[in-house]
Amino acid sequence: MRIAHYLNQFFAGVGGEDAADAGPELRQEPVGPGRKLAASLAPEHEVVATIFCGDDHASTHPEFAAALVEQAREAGAELLIAGPAFTSGRYGLACARVVSAAAEAGMPALAAMHPENPGVAEVQGAPIVESGATAREMRPSLERLAAAARRLADGEELTAEDGRIGAVARRNRMADLNAAQRAVALVRDRLRGGSEATEIPLPSFDQVTPAAPLADPAAALIALVTEGGLVPAGNPDRLQSARATKWVRHSLEGRDSVAAGEFESVHGGFSTQWANAEPNRILPLDVAREMEREGAIGKLHTEYFGTTGNGTTVADARRFGLEWAAELRRAHIQAAILTAT
Amino acid sequence: MNELGAGTGLRRLVHEVQSLELGQSTAYEGGLLVVSEEDASTFFRDPALAEVRVGCASPGESARIINPLDAVQPCSKGPGGGGVFPGFVGAALPPGRGETHILRGAAVVAAGHLPRAQEAVIDMSGPVAALSPLAATNNIVVEFERAPDAAWEDVESALRRGVLRLAVHLADAALDAAPDAVEELPDPTAGGPDGRARVGVVTNLQTQGKFKDVFVYGRSLSGGLPTAISPNELDDGAVVSGQYGHPALKNPTYLHQTHPVVAAIRESEDMWLAALVLCPEPVEQGAKELVSAHAARLCAALGLDAAIVTKEGGGNADADVALKMDRLDELGITAVGVFAEMAGRDGAGPPLVVPPSRATAMVSAGNYDELVTLPECDRALGGERIALLDLPATDELELPVAAVYGALNPLGWGRVTCSEAA
Repeated sequence: MRIAHYLNQFFAGVGGEDAADAGPELRQEPVGPGRKLAASLAPEHEVVATIFCGDDHASTHPEFAAALVEQAREAGAELLIAGPAFTSGRYGLACARVVSAAAEAGMPALAAMHPENPGVAEVQGAPIVESGATAREMRPSLERLAAAARRLADGEELTAEDGRIGAVARRNRMADLNAAQRAVALVRDRLRGGSEATEIPLPSFDQVTPAAPLADPAAALIALVTEGGLVPAGNPDRLQSARATKWVRHSLEGRDSVAAGEFESVHGGFSTQWANAEPNRILPLDVAREMEREGAIGKLHTEYFGTTGNGTTVADARRFGLEWAAELRRAHIQAAILTAT
Repeated sequence: MNELGAGTGLRRLVHEVQSLELGQSTAYEGGLLVVSEEDASTFFRDPALAEVRVGCASPGESARIINPLDAVQPCSKGPGGGGVFPGFVGAALPPGRGETHILRGAAVVAAGHLPRAQEAVIDMSGPVAALSPLAATNNIVVEFERAPDAAWEDVESALRRGVLRLAVHLADAALDAAPDAVEELPDPTAGGPDGRARVGVVTNLQTQGKFKDVFVYGRSLSGGLPTAISPNELDDGAVVSGQYGHPALKNPTYLHQTHPVVAAIRESEDMWLAALVLCPEPVEQGAKELVSAHAARLCAALGLDAAIVTKEGGGNADADVALKMDRLDELGITAVGVFAEMAGRDGAGPPLVVPPSRATAMVSAGNYDELVTLPECDRALGGERIALLDLPATDELELPVAAVYGALNPLGWGRVTCSEAA
């Protein structure tokens, strides 16, 4: 089978963080770790193209994925492999977007990353196999990826034995009894000594390690971001009041505060009466500007990012976080104040 | 029933409504409910309402109700209600004894825009009809226009009171009709036959202020502690909803009156429905902990062997169920929680916002993010456009199941569940 292999700018040899803005590109040969991958897959399979993109560009331009998949197809690829991305969040997200775009386009695809990579939750329609946590584990990670790719090329389903990771999708269906009757049946089972039966497995959640404090806030560039549903009055972007699938950005230049009447909250999870009477309590621009004038903080970022945190899926929230982090990094922000409601 | 404490239970006189039409005067006979629009509109004479219109939507019709707000099952204990809906129609005193006439298979539904009322839909036929409790009832739909400059709180209050009084008025029409069924609901404090497990229901009521509040005897439980009432009081409308968020996860008055978990325990031959504990759903973590610990102690004092815990709303309301399950478990009371999942459109996200840490017995009422398609229909009540999609209300719609009224009802009405894809 002819294979296209996705890498980020670092593993493609383009550069480190300084090159994270690099746009998407295709080379008609294996590159970097792709050479070892190609060697393990030969002679049955051939890596005909390496596709790559800078991590920041991939985070902020989700459309890069479908475009690269199309280029890979034109280069003759029949199978797409992405990674291994280890625990690198933006690289994992990029791999997720590329394999999801391939699956969407009907091309078999496979990604490799560490189970804790936030990209795991972003993959749709394609399998993921486990990689190590860092590039020090490149060799075993590539061996596992190559073995899984071979099975996928043979048309087989990947399982836990192949190192497959990622959540198994749960689908709605109609039960014979209603939920109340099933709850009574579950009580009966437990009263009779059962201890196992349940309809919902316990979920596992990420543990987020807080960043270290700023060494010198007076010299720092600081951004305000919020999940409080704050939008310009009239909600021109039609940000959702619940289950948001997008986020918005608006300029704060020339503003000393977010004034009532000019901004409002569209959050559907609380009464917005008080937020709309004083939008600065959702996005504390008034106080932040004072601190900026006093020199307590270096400078405020020129815009804020906002979404609605109300019934938002974990996958969407994770994506917003990755996209915000990439945007803030590109703008050389040292810290962000995220107001939650 | 005598051995269970004669005279202290509730006798339900059931009148089955098979069909519904508008007519000159309100009447009920032989399964046909005729509603006078003129009579009905008198219950909505209020300075906050400019106009109301009364329409009908029955099962199987190619009709869609959009923006449904509260829904109420008609009931009455005598002319003028005889004490039902205490605190709103009847005096604010505990009901739940004597006889109550109910119009089973009918519901009064208000429909239209209110602030904070997330947009909901009910399809009366088609593939999504099976997901909504109101698709199985003959609905008297009340549409309304706000009076110019009226405060929305006043509009909500006028609607809520009007819907309750109309529900009483309709049931009053059946007071002299022979019931289709007589159902005896024993007094839970009577104890029950030997050998049955004493099972209670712990029902969390959303208490988040205007447009997101639920009333017990006409009062909000906001800021209060859990309280125990007789489950039979639900049939008489002791719990009334003023909560309009979370379409799939809301508990309209209709479903408090017909509480599915209460009904399921009553049907069980090896369990005794011993108590109903109503709890506020505070938004603050400390208050959630307090309410949960107190509710568990109340269940212990009531001598429960097991309790089924229900909620209203999404997200943080998971914590109210999870904490109560854990506190009950600590006291040796078997706890089962009814949850809806919020696992993302592909069903691969974590299903719960806050899972229990000790207890594990959970029932899933389905994943609210999964998409459903509603085919186009002939007519719509409650509005002309679906604001969520900016489409005409009768168009084909693709929506998360979260928008289908009652689809994942946390009181356990629905048959939707969720499991790993095959």
